[in-house]
Amino acid sequence: MATERTMSTTWHGTLMEGAGTIHEAPSGAFGALDVSWTSRAEAPDGRTSPEELIAAAHSACFSMALSHGLAQSGTPAERLDTTATVTFVPGEGITKVALTVRGTVPGIDEEGFAAAAEGAKTGCPVSKALAGVPEITLDAVLAG
Amino acid sequence: MPRIVREAGVSWEGNVARGTGAISATSSNAFSGLQYTVAARIGIPEGKTSPEELLAAAHGACFTMSLASELSKAGTPPKRLDVRCVVTMDEIEGKGHQIVHSQIDARGTAPGCDEAAFAQAAEAADASCPLSALIRASATVAVTASLS
Repeated sequence: MATERTMSTTWHGTLMEGAGTIHEAPSGAFGALDVSWTSRAEAPDGRTSPEELIAAAHSACFSMALSHGLAQSGTPAERLDTTATVTFVPGEGITKVALTVRGTVPGIDEEGFAAAAEGAKTGCPVSKALAGVPEITLDAVLAG
Repeated sequence: MPRIVREAGVSWEGNVARGTGAISATSSNAFSGLQYTVAARIGIPEGKTSPEELLAAAHGACFTMSLASELSKAGTPPKRLDVRCVVTMDEIEGKGHQIVHSQIDARGTAPGCDEAAFAQAAEAADASCPLSALIRASATVAVTASLS
């Protein structure tokens, strides 16, 4: 069954001097978010950006896929902490996504965790959608 | 050109069927602790976001900025743009869940710009938006554009 998610954005003015609003999420999960070119390209100043939203989508998708993979191999995760860092070079595109995960997973060794993380990196739907990014790196280690 | 770097973080607790994650915008702090679960991702959102909703926000916002740029370059900067993005995920036989489509519908007001020029700017925006190119590698992207 297909799942659809919709978001809307309103923009006023030019790219450089104008500003936009990403409207409240239809899911109800978050309210309106302001965006501007300056906050996208320079200091965020409290405003999100397409790249930060991609990082949010990718880290969320990856974490869920990893949790699924670990449960399937009989070692469910207690806790996963993931960050995604997205690099964007204007005129060139999104050049890199760096995924970092720290996991608390009873009964698994470093090698098993790294293999499960690699599977999530390859298989999660957002990874597949971003497969054209020139460099996607993964740093997966069990938490202390 | 400068490199722009943005980061987000997730904490996930529990196994996939009953677990919950929390998503935070760590570069800007524009949002934090957004809950998501498998059930809400696939079924009814019930107040929870999902990777697809965030991707729709990202693609819609990215396209909108590209369109503002293209219209400005053409000498007809927009007064107002309203852009909707719908991201579809589906289960593909033998491939699991995959993002299959992103639909962009743009409406706008740009003094001095006619329908044909607006459609042309939208086409150029689709070509210059980095997310459109990425998504198109494994899914379809469709754009409609008209003056409001």
